Amino acid sequence: MSSEVIVETRNLSKVYRDFWGRQKVRALKALDLEIRRGEIFGLLGPNGSGKTTTIKLLLGLLFPTSGQALVFGRDATDVSKNERLGYLPEESYLYRFLNAEETLDFYGRLFDMPAAVRKRRAAELIDLVGLNWAKRRQLKEYSKGMARRIGLAQALINDPELIMLDEPTSGLDPIGTREMKDLILKLKSEGKTVLMSSHLLADVQDVCDRIAILHQGELKELGRVDTLLKVRDETAIRAKGLSAAGQAEVRAVIERHSGTVLTMDNPTTTLEELFLTIVRDSEARPGRRAKQESESQ
Amino acid sequence: MTLELAPPIFGNWIWPALQFFLQAAAILGFTALTVGFLVAAFRYGPVAGGDLTYRMLRTGVRDLLALSPQRVLALAWLAIQESLRRRVLVGFGVFLLILLFAGWFLDSKTNDPATLYLSFVLTATTYLVLLMALFLSAFSLPADIKNHTIYTIVTKPVRPGEIVLGRILGFSAIGTVLLAVMGLFSYVFVVRVLNHNHEVELVSLKTATGDTTGTRTGRTTASQNHRHQITIDAEGKGSTDIVQGHYHDVDQQTDGDKTTYVIGPPQDLLTARVPQYGSLRFKDRNGQGIERGISVGNEWKYRSFVEGGTPAAAIWTFQDITPERYPEGVPIEMTIRVFRSYKGDIEKGILGSLVLKNPRTGRSSRMETFRAKEFTIDSRNIPRKLADTDGNPIDLFDDLVADGELEVWLQCIDSSQYFGVAPADFYLRAADASFAGNFVKSYLGIWVQMLLVTSFGVMFSTFLSGAVAMMATLAAVVLGFFTKFVFDVAQGAVEGGGPIESLIRLVNQRNVTVQMEPGLTRDAVEGADAVFMFFMKSVSSLLPDFRQFSNVDYVAHGFDIPLDTLGVQMFSGLGYVVAVCAIGYYFLRTREMAR
Repeated sequence: MSSEVIVETRNLSKVYRDFWGRQKVRALKALDLEIRRGEIFGLLGPNGSGKTTTIKLLLGLLFPTSGQALVFGRDATDVSKNERLGYLPEESYLYRFLNAEETLDFYGRLFDMPAAVRKRRAAELIDLVGLNWAKRRQLKEYSKGMARRIGLAQALINDPELIMLDEPTSGLDPIGTREMKDLILKLKSEGKTVLMSSHLLADVQDVCDRIAILHQGELKELGRVDTLLKVRDETAIRAKGLSAAGQAEVRAVIERHSGTVLTMDNPTTTLEELFLTIVRDSEARPGRRAKQESESQ
Repeated sequence: MTLELAPPIFGNWIWPALQFFLQAAAILGFTALTVGFLVAAFRYGPVAGGDLTYRMLRTGVRDLLALSPQRVLALAWLAIQESLRRRVLVGFGVFLLILLFAGWFLDSKTNDPATLYLSFVLTATTYLVLLMALFLSAFSLPADIKNHTIYTIVTKPVRPGEIVLGRILGFSAIGTVLLAVMGLFSYVFVVRVLNHNHEVELVSLKTATGDTTGTRTGRTTASQNHRHQITIDAEGKGSTDIVQGHYHDVDQQTDGDKTTYVIGPPQDLLTARVPQYGSLRFKDRNGQGIERGISVGNEWKYRSFVEGGTPAAAIWTFQDITPERYPEGVPIEMTIRVFRSYKGDIEKGILGSLVLKNPRTGRSSRMETFRAKEFTIDSRNIPRKLADTDGNPIDLFDDLVADGELEVWLQCIDSSQYFGVAPADFYLRAADASFAGNFVKSYLGIWVQMLLVTSFGVMFSTFLSGAVAMMATLAAVVLGFFTKFVFDVAQGAVEGGGPIESLIRLVNQRNVTVQMEPGLTRDAVEGADAVFMFFMKSVSSLLPDFRQFSNVDYVAHGFDIPLDTLGVQMFSGLGYVVAVCAIGYYFLRTREMAR
């Protein structure tokens, strides 16, 4: 990860006012943030915390009440910065009367891409998001997950340096979520910078390098995921093939060093891993049915 | 056809118009920047406000220079797709229905069917296309903003001006195709409906008693609520009289013992006259030169009148009268209005006279009398060989034309009756252009109107919701069609006062000529009206006069639309579109899309 700052906010605030200029909602309060090239940055917070407002300010969809929002060193309202930027909105706000190919061709034209390049790029992205089989269907016939994938494709049409994803895994099934996370990690491996906002903590934990936690428009925490999540006064040990006698000996060593054994039993995998394993297994061996609960126990 | 203003000459019009446009743009632009600075200074302080204003100006110039034709065309293509999805072709279906059932509600007994049908198709096309443009343009952008589909566009390197221009281009393209198809169907409809034939009523054919030339007269069968009188010469060639603005050629064909008469298709029904107008002056009842004729009390001052039975005359002077231009004599056409101070014989037209004069030598042709035909065009041909007042033979070009100039004197002979004339009421029929070509030209005027409505609709939609933008555009169109009236009210040239006073008069049923009682109420009403009228004057000065883009009258009355007029319409329209695009850019640029 380089030290070049791609996105910067300085004392960024946003207050929504009514028609008469009276203050209605203070959506963002004096946000100071830096996002560096090559990192995956997560913007976390409950609903109404200011995540989407921050992203919209960075995109120029909203204007700051005070402070500054800079992208690639330019003001966020500078349209030219969008040449190097991709955006996946919270919902797939696409033109439902176009099909996938037409959609990507249209957005490619907005980047002044030559026809041959557009065609090649559209084909690559449709393949990447796994929608070859539905590329000629109008988007109004797509499921939510399919629309989300085309939304991601249009966000990548210009091979952007910075990608902003607003709730990227929202509405996706576990497989779609896994694929989205894998894609995000792939983008990072290509040197791209990703800013994603989410309230699905597990998803953020899996992919983000650094996170910022917002609450009621204020920045509450900022730092690397691994550092923030570390529980400093506990030690975790995972061991394989340890007998009961071995477990008792480890317990005794800990107690001899004035430690307290909190738990010592078989760790659990995640539900996501279990789900994915079952689905992969089912695809490999169709027709195999689950055992009855009493049998499995 | 009434022509209250002489058609402009494009070469004389363009440079002053361009200067005026640039001056107006500079003044309005400076005003907008000043207002913007004051608002910004009030909100953020003078320094920050100045910086904001400067950055706005700088960004505007940069965006203009960075305008991408490919992006504009992409957005235009999207607008076209959206229009098709919104079933814009239904408008064309409605038009076809109207054409199909036109015969049910158009007067089949009219004396001028060509004018009626041409006015009908052109007016129907105008209203339908303008309505379609209004709905498409006003609702598109607000729908995009409401559905948030605009997010995926404005987060690309798309300038606000490209969004405005793309939409105007896209909707105009749809309108152009619709207009072309409607025009084709209208043309076929008019030609087919007006085409008709007659047959000769053989029993009516007879030679006049004492006639030695072999000329026969008769009449035709009735068709489309009229019939003609026919005249056939000894060689079997002839023609009908002019009824409902047209005539037919008649041809006798002999095949052995069998003689048949073939009546050709209607002639002069669908025409595009190229008139040559002259300057008009008058002589009063004492023979003295005056600028205008007398008034008979009409409110509309378009025509003035020449008193009958006196030396009073209306004199037209024509230029460039040459044998090359008029090799077979000079065809003249006139539309005379008549004012009767007594009823007289209402079946007979008022008697008038025409004299041609040399403007240098004063030599005149022999007086030719005629009976005035009101509300119809009276066509005659002045042959090259004439006689003067003494009966001596004279040549039109050698004796009556001086340096290309010719005078035509029109007088009313019947005492105490009056002829009403305007400069465009008398002209030389210099040539005939193609009716089909003229029909196409008339659609260019409708096209410019459609472009204006589209531009205004898109502009209003950059800062108003769909329904409000539609109302605002509709208001602009209506005000545009009544610009002159609104301007006259704003100037106080219309009796009854301003809007508030008119409303009070309407509610109280007060006569417009009776002044309001002096007092506080009248002062308050006049004060409020002064403010309204200032805004009315400003708005009517800024909005386009939609009637200036309408060429319906030209085509319906059979006159060629001058290319100069088309040029003025095109460039005027373009000027408005440029201004409206700039306004739309500004509003879109300063709008928060996510709110």
